[in-house]
Amino acid sequence: MILDIYKDSLEYSAKDWKTLVKLGVICLFSFLLLPAFLITGYNYRVINNAVHGVINGRDPLPGFDDLVSMFVDGIKFVVVQIAYLLVPVIIFAVFSLIALQTTGVAASAIMIIGCILTFVAFIVCELMINMGLCHMAYNDGAFSKAFAITEIKEVIDEIGWFECIATFIGLVIITCVISFVVSAIIGIIFSAFGFSGAMLGIDPTGIFLLGAIINSAITLFIVGPYLSIFNSRSIGLLYTMQI
Amino acid sequence: MASITDCVVEGLKYPFNDIKKLLGLGVLFAIINLLSMFFAMNTFDMYRVVIHVLENTTVPLSSLNMSIIPSANIYTAVGITIVGLIVGLFILGYQYNILSFSIDRKDDLPGFGDVVDIFVKGIKYFIVSVAYNLPAMIVMAAAMMFLDNLTVMSVLMVVSFVLLVIGYFLLVMALNNMVAHDSVGKAFDFREIIDNISNLGWGKYIGTILFTVIVFMIINVAVGLVLSLLAVAFAAVIINQAFAVSIFIGVIEALFVSSYCAVFFNRVCGSIYRESIK
Repeated sequence: MILDIYKDSLEYSAKDWKTLVKLGVICLFSFLLLPAFLITGYNYRVINNAVHGVINGRDPLPGFDDLVSMFVDGIKFVVVQIAYLLVPVIIFAVFSLIALQTTGVAASAIMIIGCILTFVAFIVCELMINMGLCHMAYNDGAFSKAFAITEIKEVIDEIGWFECIATFIGLVIITCVISFVVSAIIGIIFSAFGFSGAMLGIDPTGIFLLGAIINSAITLFIVGPYLSIFNSRSIGLLYTMQI
Repeated sequence: MASITDCVVEGLKYPFNDIKKLLGLGVLFAIINLLSMFFAMNTFDMYRVVIHVLENTTVPLSSLNMSIIPSANIYTAVGITIVGLIVGLFILGYQYNILSFSIDRKDDLPGFGDVVDIFVKGIKYFIVSVAYNLPAMIVMAAAMMFLDNLTVMSVLMVVSFVLLVIGYFLLVMALNNMVAHDSVGKAFDFREIIDNISNLGWGKYIGTILFTVIVFMIINVAVGLVLSLLAVAFAAVIINQAFAVSIFIGVIEALFVSSYCAVFFNRVCGSIYRESIK
């Protein structure tokens, strides 16, 4: 089941390289803050397509029409994430405040417990965020559904907690591996060029610089958008796995 | 019933229906910005005078009289305030019209034809806004009396803040109610206001306003970031003209951003009322 999700998402994200480049251009301008929300809005659209679609179906990639509603969707996406992430932050703040009041071994013990609790809360919150976003998309973008914790818990129960967490860990691993392998390959190619150039007595600085630029450009325009679509699609498909 | 997102998306698209009128409102905002800059310049002059006096005498600051400030400056300051207030009332009156267009589901922007009418509506809008913020202001003033007693002051500050928030949430519906019935009395008809809000659902009502405020702030922060980058770039290129650059940036912001945000916000508020009376 999990492998099917990955296979479908990997194929889905590779459907149209133009979309990837467009996303990359938006990402390039996201230091202006408004385009950053367009990217999250696009991810929300991908989730929306996945939640209402079928695995291994012929869902098209969402388009870039109606930027305003994409922008608003992106803000919703971010608001939901921030609201959930407040929980671990508050837990951490409370424990560190208590630890500041005490001294010696007690302080470190409280701090360690606090860190563990924060970590657990963070993992659970990440799970709830992703499933909450899917649940929101499934219910036509109703905000309250993103925070309907009991409903989301039922959804996760039906999918199975183990499957969910395994899928997420898999996503993290795949993301890391793909980005590492791509940049490593480009790096190896250009260092081979550079070193062979150096052996022939040419200054290799330009070649290394070119390699670094091409590396970051490919990461920005191809690999980054690809991975973000891949992640959103996988999470959306995971939501449809409930029985 | 349209969802929160639909209201906000509709509100964001609405100002583009008539760019000329949007720019007309922008000119008003630009006047206010220019006035406040001029005011700030004059205030700097006054500070300069006060500091000059303090350097030449040994008396403490609190014993100085208002009379040492040059009277010409005072007159300018008062004049600027009055002109600014009039322009501000005009803007509020225009916002009143936007609310009423939104409640009537009209897709074009209101015009500037009837100046007196807009002005009168602005006064109504202003009075209602002040009235709803009055409790918070009174408590805040009371807090200022206890400057030496920190506990009392902080408690009063918190109370004032809570009152401010409650007042703001009621104010949105009160303004809508006033505009819909075109009478100031309806703005204080608490039973109807509360009924309207419960009709929509408190969660949805507060959620919509909070979400709109978040969108509003994001737009403002993003544009502010871009404009400040521009300002820094200009100021670096054009030396010794920082004031001219800041006037330029201020006018740009007023023309396009403040007007857009004001129209957007009032449009969404109007559609909240439209949803609530269904």
